[in-house]
Amino acid sequence: MTTQTDGQLTVKKYFTNIWDAVSSISKGMAITMGYVLKEKEVTLQYPEEKETLPKGTRMRLYNDVDDCIGCKACATACPVGCITIATEKRAVDAPEKKSSKGTAIKFDLTQYTIDKALCCFCGNCTTVCPTECLFHTTEFEYSTYNVQDLKIDYLSDEARSWKEKALKDRL
Amino acid sequence: MHNEIVGLLNNRIKGVEATFNKAEVGDSSISVNPAFIVDVCKLLKESGTHEFNVLQVITGCDYPEYLELSYIIASFINNTELILKVKLQKQGDSLPKIASVSDVWKAANWLERECYDMVGVEFTGHPDCRRILCPDGFVGYPLRKDFKSEESYNGMVINPASKMK
Amino acid sequence: MSVEFIGNDEKIKSELLTVNMGPQHPATHGVLRVEIKTDSEIVAEAIPHIGYLHRCMEKHCENADYRAIVPFVDRMDYLASMNMELGYAITIEKLASIAVPRRAEVIRVLVSELQRIASHLVAFGTYGIDIGAFTPFLYAFDQREKIISFFESISGGRLLYNYISIGGVSRDVSNDLIVGLEKFCAGFEDQLKMYDTLLTQNKIFIERTANVGVMDKDYCYDYGITGPVLRGAGVEWDLRKKKPYSIYNEFNFEVAVGKGLKGCVGDCWDRYYVRMVEMEQSVKIIKQALVKLREEGGEFTTKVPRVIKVPVGEIYMRTECPKGELGYHIISDGKKGPYRFKVKSPCFTNVSALGEIAPGMMIADLVATIGSLDIVLGEVDR
Repeated sequence: MTTQTDGQLTVKKYFTNIWDAVSSISKGMAITMGYVLKEKEVTLQYPEEKETLPKGTRMRLYNDVDDCIGCKACATACPVGCITIATEKRAVDAPEKKSSKGTAIKFDLTQYTIDKALCCFCGNCTTVCPTECLFHTTEFEYSTYNVQDLKIDYLSDEARSWKEKALKDRL
Repeated sequence: MHNEIVGLLNNRIKGVEATFNKAEVGDSSISVNPAFIVDVCKLLKESGTHEFNVLQVITGCDYPEYLELSYIIASFINNTELILKVKLQKQGDSLPKIASVSDVWKAANWLERECYDMVGVEFTGHPDCRRILCPDGFVGYPLRKDFKSEESYNGMVINPASKMK
Repeated sequence: MSVEFIGNDEKIKSELLTVNMGPQHPATHGVLRVEIKTDSEIVAEAIPHIGYLHRCMEKHCENADYRAIVPFVDRMDYLASMNMELGYAITIEKLASIAVPRRAEVIRVLVSELQRIASHLVAFGTYGIDIGAFTPFLYAFDQREKIISFFESISGGRLLYNYISIGGVSRDVSNDLIVGLEKFCAGFEDQLKMYDTLLTQNKIFIERTANVGVMDKDYCYDYGITGPVLRGAGVEWDLRKKKPYSIYNEFNFEVAVGKGLKGCVGDCWDRYYVRMVEMEQSVKIIKQALVKLREEGGEFTTKVPRVIKVPVGEIYMRTECPKGELGYHIISDGKKGPYRFKVKSPCFTNVSALGEIAPGMMIADLVATIGSLDIVLGEVDR
């Protein structure tokens, strides 16, 4: 059932085999020599040469927390549950705040943390965000020495400092 | 097609109690008595008109009172498909038993091992019924609805509190 | 087994040696363990063991809602994610009777066929490495890089896309991307001719793969094997023609069948040749799809509610993936997620057929056979 013989080995077959081997290997070598002599190198010498990623590539998330209405749609849509949100209802007599799309903001965010170590970079959270304040940037060089440092707190000053660069990547 | 098959099964095999479950939404299926599963499969494979020569899936689903196995078979000669269902009653801690169809289709060998591993159904007459996806010393049947994982495995703690959120 | 010692009355007793083609091995295409009992170089028994990549996906999906299952489904066969997502999307759309706009259907066929080419390029390149030819691997990956860059522009990811959603696709394809694809198709057909001269007609490759690992038609039916392995055995069975799904019935293409050109029907060379011919046919489908896409305007998705309502019932649908027929069996009880989610994976049945065909081969032939089955362990173990 597995390996079957081809029949008798005649002298003609012996020499045909040798001719087939030599001719097919030399045709293959001609193709390879063509690549050696003609084609350009495709290797990028990273980190001196970097590719610019297209807009909308799903790398590190960024949330513009001043625009967030606290609806928790992103935390519900996440397949792995890496977004932690805590909100507080604003007092009735507090000054009115509106998001960039015009919806009234009724909740104050007290905590907005995304654990980037758990995140699977699927983008489901960005699809359901109603104000599009949560979006993917093209930032991928953010390794840390400690896995606990990958829990990014978007209310901190460090995260707010990324805002200008991140807004250029919004689709 | 389903009505023909129900008629054929009820005529040729005594006691098989084949019934047609017509579904308004989705796929219809045929339920049979689990004691006659090997005869049903042999008949469907070798009867001249139907020729179901390929076994595709054997799944198990856990309901509160019983376990339901689905056998999905196809005919690559007539381009048809059929879902056969059997109900196995749960009896306390021991595993429900059903005869193995690995003599009818060789594909059943690994499919039944996976069903045993995940849902906990014992296939009598199977040449080599042991776990396939879970490790060898695993306790429990993961796809049952009341499955709880153990506290530790081989001395390692499962889901330690310090690593969970 | 015992051997007569020439010139002496002693009989040497020898026994079978158990060798582990262990979970970490460059030729098993993933974490597959094959326990081989050999008698010098000839295999007496080969027992595959799987389960090293088992991630309990079916149980996870019972706790997730229908929209969140798409990233899980991507991770099964990570080299052919678009086909996995397409199978899942059409299953749920049939059960919940959700209509898909025409532009989305054309885009879905386009990305499925591009993904089929990308998956077969990996199979071609890595099969060359298994046999010993290291050069075609990087040539194949150079072409694959163009396809992956296109997918990165439309979906955001390079390997796991989360692009085909229930009701359509998640982002539209712009016209300059269509121009880029037309250029790719023109260049790719010359590349396929080059692969033919480089590997397919090479005498050493033919000697290693022809007449090796023969699986005939009845063997394939008995084990439930589908895909290029079944077509290599001479059966013209392709779900895109026999049970057309999506809009495949509007496209003009042929089904590749193994004819035993270099050895007998159903050997490793035939299965490899079927994949090369399928790449040519996929380019044909892509050209037709690009023409349709330029003409078709309209929406790229229907509006589905945030929590998708699926009626009570069950359904089983299969689609043609690069590795075989992928089936989804979903039992729903009307809640936000499935009650039981079962995936019928083609590579699972292909690996199960290895045990019976191995006795009598040499170990190098076993490596060639495993490579010709083109398995991805993410799909075998789920």
